[in-house]
Amino acid sequence: MSQSPNRRPSARSAIDIAGGLFLLAIAAIGYIGGFNLPVGHLSGIGSGLLPKALAVLIAAFGILLIVQGLFGQGPTLERWAIRGPFFVLSAVVLFALTVRWGGLLIAGPLAVIMSSLGSSDTRPTEIAIFAVALTLLSGLLFKELLNLPIPFDPLGLIPNSLTQAYAGGKEGIAGFFAALKGAITR
Amino acid sequence: MTFDLISNLALGLSVALTLKNLWLCFLGCLIGTLIGVLPGVGPIATITMLLPITFGIDPVGALIMLAGIYYGAQYGGSTTAILVNIPGEATSVVTTLDGHQMAKQGRAGVALGIAAIGSFIAGCVATIIIAALAAPLTAMALLFGPADYFALMVMGLMFAVVLARGSVPKAIAIILVGILLSTVGTDLESGEERLTFGWSEISDGLDVAVLAMGLFGFAEILRNLEITQARDVVRGAIGNLLPNRKDFAQSAAPIARGTLIGSILGLLPGNGAVLGPFASYTIEKKLAEDPSRFGRGAIEGVAGPESANNAGAQTAFIPLLALGIPPNAVMALMVGAMTIHGIVPGPQIMTKQPNLFWGMIASMWIGNLMLLVINLPLIGLWVRFLKVPYRLMFPAIILLCCIGIYSINNSPVEVLMTAGFGLFGYAVVKFGFEPAPLLLGFVLGRLMEEKLRQALVISRGSFVTFIDRPLSAGLLLLALITIVLAVLPAIRKGREEVFQEAD
Repeated sequence: MSQSPNRRPSARSAIDIAGGLFLLAIAAIGYIGGFNLPVGHLSGIGSGLLPKALAVLIAAFGILLIVQGLFGQGPTLERWAIRGPFFVLSAVVLFALTVRWGGLLIAGPLAVIMSSLGSSDTRPTEIAIFAVALTLLSGLLFKELLNLPIPFDPLGLIPNSLTQAYAGGKEGIAGFFAALKGAITR
Repeated sequence: MTFDLISNLALGLSVALTLKNLWLCFLGCLIGTLIGVLPGVGPIATITMLLPITFGIDPVGALIMLAGIYYGAQYGGSTTAILVNIPGEATSVVTTLDGHQMAKQGRAGVALGIAAIGSFIAGCVATIIIAALAAPLTAMALLFGPADYFALMVMGLMFAVVLARGSVPKAIAIILVGILLSTVGTDLESGEERLTFGWSEISDGLDVAVLAMGLFGFAEILRNLEITQARDVVRGAIGNLLPNRKDFAQSAAPIARGTLIGSILGLLPGNGAVLGPFASYTIEKKLAEDPSRFGRGAIEGVAGPESANNAGAQTAFIPLLALGIPPNAVMALMVGAMTIHGIVPGPQIMTKQPNLFWGMIASMWIGNLMLLVINLPLIGLWVRFLKVPYRLMFPAIILLCCIGIYSINNSPVEVLMTAGFGLFGYAVVKFGFEPAPLLLGFVLGRLMEEKLRQALVISRGSFVTFIDRPLSAGLLLLALITIVLAVLPAIRKGREEVFQEAD
């Protein structure tokens, strides 16, 4: 790494200090979570030994990194984006919350539109059409072709006439192929 | 011995060549490529996403399909690397260097063609290596006691430390975090809940698919969204797909060397396969008469690493099939898939389920052939696919990820957890850690604890057992040497140089 002469070289590495603190936090959670578990003894290790030992080791590395970061040189911390992570992860949460209740028909467009807000290039009409098309397509793929048990329309939002027409069409096609198969094998 | 090999392969072919299994292999390769081609979606995310579609199939067919998805995802990643300059995963980073330059010079077709041909040759060789080594290694595995298994896994993790980029303490620390995550859930011996904080949803432990999708699927999208630079999908013509005679002459030796390097490195526990393309690229550059051509569209820089990549991707199956130890995250997902179908990976598969074992190996070869046959004609389609703007692509990827994770256990809670791990993975990367060793620690953690406890029970609590047994002592010594070498300044510099190629 070359330092330009007029810029003061930073004598610390923010990324290492932050990384060390991150490790300390994980270690603390691990130690607290395993606090009440028995450690046992060497010929019969208890359930708590490994979590606690790991927590202590992770904490040790965390301290090492902080010390390294304080006295060494290194890159600074990258800036955290807020918009992308917020909308993308909210989209996933929204999907999880609505998929049982509203099926893919509700959860799909919600997830697509919500996550699309994470990018600044999103165009409203385009993404709306895309969300609906993608939902129908994935319903067709995962429900019809692959028979996955993911709910599609538990609320019955699609009008009856449409589902009946679809079932009728499917039967017709199946009938056609059955006839075709019969004709070939005969 | 050779006769055994042939009869075993014949058995495998008889399984793999049934119409149904051929169809599943084809479908797996096709869908795997389709998802793998999406920029920023590597094999780990692809397999996680597509895991549920194999649920309704019998175990043999499901594994054949999964293997197909795996190769498809690998190959799709190379396509994206060449055409868009976005590597789907660490191993295709090297391909972007010369592959994308070739594409810019109007030789995208040749780059894709030589990648496919090199991969196919490497795949053929690797399949034979797997078939030949599986039996002796499986026999050897029976000699392994718990202490030896533990030592082997320690060695694997030390390799992973050396292979990780960035500082050694960071790599060790993040592996420890992975092992800590693996202890979440009910303790198998005492039945006590660990680190669950009373949350019953995780009393069975964290699912590897959930962790992998968060760390590699979502976190990757979050990082891609930050990069504002326009993706330069290669415009213009793809050009001739078949390399000409001069291209072949230039690529033959790199393909052979790449295959060899990749096959050997893939065997190592601790994700050795990831080093293959880097090592191959470095060697080709050193051997070249005019090294300055590298980085400006040298065909050797695509042929060698791509062969190494594919060979390693395949020989990585050996530790899994022979020892039951997954050497990397992709293989860990394979363990997950096998478990869902009631198969316990390990030395007993080969003797108890020869159909499955040899059928899968034979289908690897067929899968490689299929990739060649279906991908070259379809490259035009992939190109059009890649021109879909990222603003539409990433919401689609998110939806597919959600559906995939939900479908594994029909659990909305797991989808929620994936979001959490996505944020966690984003933090991990932002703080300068690598997610791959974390996942490996997680995968090996539970097995390591089990073996450690068994070994100590057998030895009545004496650690001497690890040094007493020659096998375990040797493996631990190797692990120690590896880690000492990694922190020695001279080697450290070399290690940085190898990875420098990627920056």
